[in-house]
Amino acid sequence: MSQSNQLSQASDDKPVYPAVNYLNADRGVWSWLTTVDHKRIAIMYLVSVLIAFLLGGIFALALRVELLTPGPTIMGANTYNRMFTLHGVVMIFLFMIPAIPGVFGNFCLPLMLGAKDVAFPKLNLLSLYLYWTGATIALGGMIMGGTDTGWTFYAPYSTTTPMTVFPLLLGVFILGFSSILTGLNFIVTIHTLRAPGMGWMRLQLFVWAIYATSIIQVLATPVIGLTVMLVGIEKVGHFGFFDPARGGDPVLMQHMFWFYSHPAVYIMVLPGFGVISDVIAAFARKNVFGYKAVAYSSLGIAFVGFFAWGHHMFVSGQSPVDDGAFAAISMLVGVFTAIKVFNWVATLYRGAVVVGAPLVYICGFLFFTVFGGMTGIAVATVSLDVHWHDTYFVIAHFHFIMVGAVIMAFLAGLHYWFPKMFGRMYHEGWAMVSACLIVLGFMATFIPQFLMGNAGLPRRYYIYPEKYQSLNVASTAGASLLAFGFIIIAIYLIYALARGEIAGANPWRSEGVEWMTTSPPDKHNFHETPVITRDPHSYQQPGEEVEHVVI
Amino acid sequence: MSSSDGHAHNPHLAHHFDTIEKQDYAVRLGMWLFLGTEVLLFGGLFLGYTVYRHFYHEAFHEASRHLDLWAGVTNTIVLITSSLTVALAYYEIKRDNAKRAAALLIFTILCALVFLVIKSIEYTHKFQEGALPGAHYHYAEVTAPGANLYYTVYFLATGLHAIHVIVGMSLLIWVLARLLKGHFSSSYYVPLELGGLYWHLVDLVWIFLFPLLYLI
Amino acid sequence: MAHEASETHGEKAHAHGAGRYFIVWILLLIFTVTTVVTGRIDLGPVNIVLALAIATIKAALVVLFFMHMTEAAGANRLVFVVSIVFVIVMMIGVFGDLWTRNPMTLPTGNPPPAFHTTAE
Repeated sequence: MSQSNQLSQASDDKPVYPAVNYLNADRGVWSWLTTVDHKRIAIMYLVSVLIAFLLGGIFALALRVELLTPGPTIMGANTYNRMFTLHGVVMIFLFMIPAIPGVFGNFCLPLMLGAKDVAFPKLNLLSLYLYWTGATIALGGMIMGGTDTGWTFYAPYSTTTPMTVFPLLLGVFILGFSSILTGLNFIVTIHTLRAPGMGWMRLQLFVWAIYATSIIQVLATPVIGLTVMLVGIEKVGHFGFFDPARGGDPVLMQHMFWFYSHPAVYIMVLPGFGVISDVIAAFARKNVFGYKAVAYSSLGIAFVGFFAWGHHMFVSGQSPVDDGAFAAISMLVGVFTAIKVFNWVATLYRGAVVVGAPLVYICGFLFFTVFGGMTGIAVATVSLDVHWHDTYFVIAHFHFIMVGAVIMAFLAGLHYWFPKMFGRMYHEGWAMVSACLIVLGFMATFIPQFLMGNAGLPRRYYIYPEKYQSLNVASTAGASLLAFGFIIIAIYLIYALARGEIAGANPWRSEGVEWMTTSPPDKHNFHETPVITRDPHSYQQPGEEVEHVVI
Repeated sequence: MSSSDGHAHNPHLAHHFDTIEKQDYAVRLGMWLFLGTEVLLFGGLFLGYTVYRHFYHEAFHEASRHLDLWAGVTNTIVLITSSLTVALAYYEIKRDNAKRAAALLIFTILCALVFLVIKSIEYTHKFQEGALPGAHYHYAEVTAPGANLYYTVYFLATGLHAIHVIVGMSLLIWVLARLLKGHFSSSYYVPLELGGLYWHLVDLVWIFLFPLLYLI
Repeated sequence: MAHEASETHGEKAHAHGAGRYFIVWILLLIFTVTTVVTGRIDLGPVNIVLALAIATIKAALVVLFFMHMTEAAGANRLVFVVSIVFVIVMMIGVFGDLWTRNPMTLPTGNPPPAFHTTAE
């Protein structure tokens, strides 16, 4: 079967739902729990990360409700500390880091390569088990033990607080292993399981993004593993590694922590960039503008992202010389991201743009990435960050990227690949409604936070002076809108699982290789190994006009 | 390779790989990636060493003189020799000399045990002298400031290394078990190769730890 | 497994015999003795450099010959080298900080840093 639109149908052909597919090929809960099929593992990741997202969202709403009034509203100081710790840990370690690689990486990567599975299917299952184990330990331990250190668990507070920190540390350690194994698996898969004809320059952009992400996962995660070990040992044994009273250096802990945690934000965002590249190509129905630039910029971000960690430490006692160096390097990352944004916009320009929920998410993504990225450059400027550090300005900046970019990308991918994963379409009207609610709700939540932070309101404070109240109320109102949008999505997607219209193999008429098989795919992906003869995302041959289609 | 024509003949070839060569390449790449993660894990500890050495170089210099040099030297020789024997085991199995390979593996595992025994003697000695850092630290012989951090780094680095010795040893025992059951031969020996690679990494880490902790 | 495989495989696999492993082992032992002996002689700052240089040579011998990196695929070599490079990057970032920090923020009992910053 060569790469062509053999399985995509003209709009008047009846879409087919294959009677036997990966979802029903083997029956019973045990067959799911012991599967080595990357698609089933992806679905289990999907359920897990969505539960994590729900929990993290509940914690966020609790925080926002507390911040409705200047004084205590529904909780005391300690509970507030525990709540933002929970929110941060759950969102970052249980959702943001594993989600797109675990769900879309797992599901789509082998399909996009024309492979039957990832390189090490059993290791893939182990990654999932480790994720569940680490998540349970971290979450359970934090809830029962009252961890109040923030997700950053800086020493010396984490090593001296009477609250339990150990489950968080152990949980993060185990989750780190899950992340490393996934990254390792994906790198080897991309190197060794490409279908005939699939050279590196024929890889879809999502694959390039996953490749860059996996490199970061493999190289950076061991350092956080070491850091949690050292903090844990310090807490139990008081060896003095990070304790000034015993001659240790607490800033060293921050260096080690951020050496991972800054590249970690690229683990979170790069897969999102990959999703957007693929979805934009499909929705613009146009050859990607600057394919090589976008592909290489993913690697560039991964690489340069390793040299920028000190921008989290501008006011921690780090030397001004290092401050300056890290600031300058951090700005470089903006160059690579800008390259992507320009190429995405150029791809959309004069494309036969299909209007649909994924496109709304793309537009939100583009807008928020630019603003989030620009405010990133702003906080990378030492003289400005001195005022903004630990205020809501920084919170707004990273939520613009984490939610505005990554979650929009996640939602775009979810809607784009939903028909591939489940063979059914969701209700477009409700999807548009919730997409608009989410974009608007997001702006309402986080734009006030830029203003609050710029006006001086510190983060992680549960009470604040009266003058900040109106902005806080606005932010909480926005958060409620956001929540409402997500609830609507949950409802129509669950409904679509059971009663959605049959989608057929390629409802978007996309050129991605994953669309060259049935929806849902067969357990073994392809009946014959595809032979790749065309460039990726290629909608027009040279000289051809852009084609408008009805989806 | 006796089974270059594909799936039907080679029981070791997984269904999603086209050829055993591709699969072997993939497995080796996976192992090297994992070794890369170990380099970064220990790298963080080496960073800790260099940082605290920078702050407390007198204490580090003095305290290294108080370690049991015989133990360090012996352990270095033991590990280097065990690296030789595991490399030879790999060499032998590629020539279908399973018995020799098994003997060499057994020797390697014994070396690992010797290493651990010597390490525990050293540790016990240090506990008795009061060098275990933390609340009970009372090692009076090294008085330069920051000596407790020397011992912190010492125990952390050698402790993590010892854990890796135990893991490596367990891996080699598992490989040995399979070898004794006749799973390996000149046409299939990749697990032994990979176990050996892991063991060499354990040796590599020690090659740096030894001079940094015992000699300078 | 089939016996006829071993001959062709033996030819294909390595042009060298087991001798090279023993040579590497002897070299490693010689370097070990060297580093122990020179480690106990006081050479001032040269000690650290020499110890690290010898350790690097020993490590290179193990990686290149025992771990067969001379025959390994390019990707594997790149992985290993890159991981070492990033450890060095980590050290450079941290040391850049330590050497140029305000002396008051360094752990106690410490000599002032090599460079003095004008911000005080």
